[in-house]
Amino acid sequence: MLGFLAARQAGVDDPLRLRRAESTRRVLGLQLNPDRDVDRIHGNGINTIDIDSIEGRYMLSGGADGVIVVYDLENFSGKPQYTCKAVCTVGRSSRHVHKFSVETVQWYPYDTGMFVSSSFDKTMKVWDTETLKPAEVFEFEGNVYSHHLSPIARKHSLIAVGTKNPKIQLCDLKSGSRIHVLQGHRAEVLSVRWSPRYEHILATASADSKVKVWDVRRASGSLLTLDRHNGDKSKASSEAVNTAHNGRVNGLCFTGDGLYLLTTGTDDRMRLWNSATGENTLVNYGKVCNESRKRLQFTVSRGCSPEFVFVPCGSSVAVYALHTGELVTMLRGHYNNVDCCEFHPDYQELYSGGKDCNILAWVPVLRASDVEEESNSTNTGAVGQSSVNPAFQDAWSSDED
Amino acid sequence: MELSQRDRLSELVEQLTTSGQPQLNQDKMKEIKKICKASNDCIEHMYHSVLSRLNEEHAEVRLSAFQIASELFSRSHHFRTLLVDNLQEFLELTVETDSEQPLPPPKEVARKLRSLAIQTIQSWQTSYGGAYKKLALGYHFLKQVKKVDFQDAEARTVAERRRAEDRQRRMEMIYKERVEAALKDMEESYPDIEATLTEMECCMRLLLPEFELTGIQTTNSSSPNSQPANECSSVDEQPCCSKDVRDDKRGGKLEEKEGREKKKSDGEEKRETEDKGTIEGEERNTGEEEKEREKKDRSEEAEGEDEKRRDGNEHEKKKAKKVEDREEEEEEEKGSSAEEEEEEEEEGDEDLFIRNSGLISHSYSLDLNLSPGLHVKETEDNEAVVSTVIDLHKLIKSKHLPAVQGWIQVFTKSGAEQQLLRRALDLKRSLEAALQKHEELHIDYKTRVRKVMKAHSDGEDDDDDDFDEVPEKEGYEPHIPEHLRAEYGLDPTPSTSTAPVTKKPPAKRLAAPPPPPSSSFSRRLKRRAEEEQDPTCAAATLRLLKHNFPLPAEPSSSAGPSSSQSSSEQKATDAPVVPFGLDLYYWGQEQPNAGKIVKLASQHQFWAHTVVEEEVENEELLAESRSRYISFPGRFTPVGHHCRAPLGNGSLCQRQDRHKCPFHGRIIPRDEDGRPLSQEDRLREEQEERRKREEQPDWRDAELMRDIEAATGEDLGSDRVGKKGKGKGKKKYPNLSDLKQSANTSRSRLERKVFNKSAMRRVAQVMSKCDKRKHEKFSNQFNYALN
Repeated sequence: MLGFLAARQAGVDDPLRLRRAESTRRVLGLQLNPDRDVDRIHGNGINTIDIDSIEGRYMLSGGADGVIVVYDLENFSGKPQYTCKAVCTVGRSSRHVHKFSVETVQWYPYDTGMFVSSSFDKTMKVWDTETLKPAEVFEFEGNVYSHHLSPIARKHSLIAVGTKNPKIQLCDLKSGSRIHVLQGHRAEVLSVRWSPRYEHILATASADSKVKVWDVRRASGSLLTLDRHNGDKSKASSEAVNTAHNGRVNGLCFTGDGLYLLTTGTDDRMRLWNSATGENTLVNYGKVCNESRKRLQFTVSRGCSPEFVFVPCGSSVAVYALHTGELVTMLRGHYNNVDCCEFHPDYQELYSGGKDCNILAWVPVLRASDVEEESNSTNTGAVGQSSVNPAFQDAWSSDED
Repeated sequence: MELSQRDRLSELVEQLTTSGQPQLNQDKMKEIKKICKASNDCIEHMYHSVLSRLNEEHAEVRLSAFQIASELFSRSHHFRTLLVDNLQEFLELTVETDSEQPLPPPKEVARKLRSLAIQTIQSWQTSYGGAYKKLALGYHFLKQVKKVDFQDAEARTVAERRRAEDRQRRMEMIYKERVEAALKDMEESYPDIEATLTEMECCMRLLLPEFELTGIQTTNSSSPNSQPANECSSVDEQPCCSKDVRDDKRGGKLEEKEGREKKKSDGEEKRETEDKGTIEGEERNTGEEEKEREKKDRSEEAEGEDEKRRDGNEHEKKKAKKVEDREEEEEEEKGSSAEEEEEEEEEGDEDLFIRNSGLISHSYSLDLNLSPGLHVKETEDNEAVVSTVIDLHKLIKSKHLPAVQGWIQVFTKSGAEQQLLRRALDLKRSLEAALQKHEELHIDYKTRVRKVMKAHSDGEDDDDDDFDEVPEKEGYEPHIPEHLRAEYGLDPTPSTSTAPVTKKPPAKRLAAPPPPPSSSFSRRLKRRAEEEQDPTCAAATLRLLKHNFPLPAEPSSSAGPSSSQSSSEQKATDAPVVPFGLDLYYWGQEQPNAGKIVKLASQHQFWAHTVVEEEVENEELLAESRSRYISFPGRFTPVGHHCRAPLGNGSLCQRQDRHKCPFHGRIIPRDEDGRPLSQEDRLREEQEERRKREEQPDWRDAELMRDIEAATGEDLGSDRVGKKGKGKGKKKYPNLSDLKQSANTSRSRLERKVFNKSAMRRVAQVMSKCDKRKHEKFSNQFNYALN
């Protein structure tokens, strides 16, 4: 650490390097922190969360009961103890609330005055954050599994929507109409993602175990269909050609730079693809438990030198090194299946929501605690003991001697 | 950490968790704590061993492991962090958070473990919840997602609660239905019951008009009726009042009050006169005695009379009268007024008592024969009413009261409206009151019942009644009522009944009946003979039966000289009855063509001569026709002895075989302990015993049983059998309750039999054979061959 600082001071290192090193360290130190709480608003499982990319201050969450909550993540109290307050809620009492489970929520990438939510009640709503009323409602024929707004798009404001219908719908926020349909999948589309690098590139994952990459300007068909065997016909049986997974593909995530694409499927695998060529990089992440029949929201860290993947795995969140596939740690804290997790790039915090109605904040444990522990161990007197929470003390009674 | 400590800890954990006790052994626990206190390594080791024990599929093991964990949890911070880190799994294993991982059997222990775990976690939450975030999360998870009610002592989950609610709702539904049914029932039969009650009431009133007036309904009502007579008599303290009361009683309670009163007054008047008489008489007597002493010239008669009077009190009145008469005769000249004055003067001290009380003696015993309560005697007049009352009583007792009680039960059980319940209760009360009233009436049914019977017999006797109810008859009737014998075509004296048999002549069986005494009788006999020919008639059947089962008494009545009668009787009873045969037919005669056979030279009827008829004597046939086979099966004598071989349970074999018990072989004399009396038998038995002990029955072959166990996964006890020789059946953890044992239910045993591999195979074979047969049978028919 000191070396990094010195090199930074001397100008030997790129400032980015120090930042990366520090954020990597912080990510590795992610723990369930008793100081950080998130208000328990949802009475049901949490399907999706999203942190706004402008300020990184507000977090959206959508529950299985149709409730949408906006949290304030910023801690202005100056104390380490902080509970993320719910700023506003679209509760069951609201007139505009989604009737069924909310599957995806997303902030409008340029302004927190608007967010989009889609639900199993076959609608997608564009909300005004101030009034908490839908500004626009798109209705579909089937359950909406997923939608996505391009985070970088400047030339269009399209929302890609994956529904029970194999056709992918593109809805234009400008006109408020569905302008385009992408055909090619044979089963429901579980996840859609815009590339963070090219604004017209869209990746979609479907229950027919295929992942397709589209250029929305090209109407005729998809650019690529990801193949786990990289076109090696000898390995694939005839029906397994051009499939990304041996099962439903329910998770899709670009890396921060958009060069790689990660997919997860119900075959308990996670795969890393080169998003430009569609090549399977064949990174082995081992078994990633995945039984979800719906979309699985997972995320990749940003600004770390080896990037990390945070993927829900049963009742815990697994942290993998992106390129090596090494399991770094398992974040165990939920008591039921985890459905979504979101990385806060500014503070290197992770928020995860699960079926146990909890949103847990995984906060980096600061170095200072290490120092405190050392000091505790050095001065073994009663003074050092008293400074610690009494709950952390051993309570051996004397009669055991 | 030293290896010895580690080993010791493992050992202690194993011992504690396999103890099967609901509470931990404190000494061992103390030792564990002592070791754990030394270092965090020990605690880590403890944690892992406890968790591995928690993973055991046995609730007792888990309970003990959980108790160890909670002990350490409250002591060590390190243990807490370790445990809280893995709280999910811990909860799954102890609180059953994952419904797909239920707690292992035995059930009661699992329930206990669950409630204990929930309580413990709550206490942990209160003391450590703030410090350990995950613990708080787990607590909230249990509370909010799993909806564990921590206050609930039962610690039931939502599902359990819902199930209970469901059950309750179902019960409510059932109750509601029942209440509705009962209500409907009640509505329907309410008028009925009301009518019955009114009818009963009316009948009661008819039977005992003043019933309502004199009393309410208890025995008190009866006492006022009988009391006045009793009272006045007792007040009077007259010696002869009992007689009056008896008179009263004889008058009967049924009589009207006025009548009784009148009678009573009559009686009292009578009594008064009588009393006067007696008193007078007695006074006279005493006076007389004194006079006797003075004058000494009393007549002999008078003395005798006095003696008699002293002897018996019963004749007092008569005597007194007589004496009085005599006195009057004697003292005619004196005059009545003078006589009385004289008496007054002559009264002594003892006479004062008599004068005052009217009693001669101090010790009188009163015999009052009073029956408590009412008695209604059935008479010709109230017969109809009484019979109605009986019917109603029966109706109430057998139908209405049970029904009402059933309704009340339903209403109380289901908590129906108060109104309904009250109504039903009222109904019940009134019914019971009616019954009680009926009880108190003490209606004398007997006369009536007898009367009814009489009426019945009268009806039977009635000849003009053509359509008597006739009991159904089928086949042979051993007892035919005498009056019906004519109908059956039989003579009036029944052959089957005992008394007339001896008188009956035996001629019936002979072809020619004795000459008829009258024309009508002969006609009847003729008709009977005809009927006997008719096989459909009962007479024919009877005749047949008579032939087949000759009565032992019958031959005794053969008409013979009285001197030989006894011997012939004896013979007749001894002689066997044999079926009729040729030998009897030709009894005492030469049989004309016995043993002769017509021999045909050729079997052909055309080619041979027809005239040639040779008769061949056959000795055997001849002998056969003259002899008679009498099979002698012997008499059946029931077996009086038991096998009495000692059984395993200490008792003796109770089989009663004649010669050989199927279990214990030949039956030999044994003493009361079941040991054979003779020495060689005893030796033989001992030998057999030894042999049996040596060889296991082949079905209990340990090897085979182990194979079966491996195939079925059930414990047949092969290890027990196998180890019997070694003499120790060692289980790994004898203290834990055996999970497999609990699976030994009738169902599992049946399953073992039915789903036995060999049985299944056998069934499959038979089925396939059936199939194959069908195929073979119809294989040449395309439409069968295909399926």
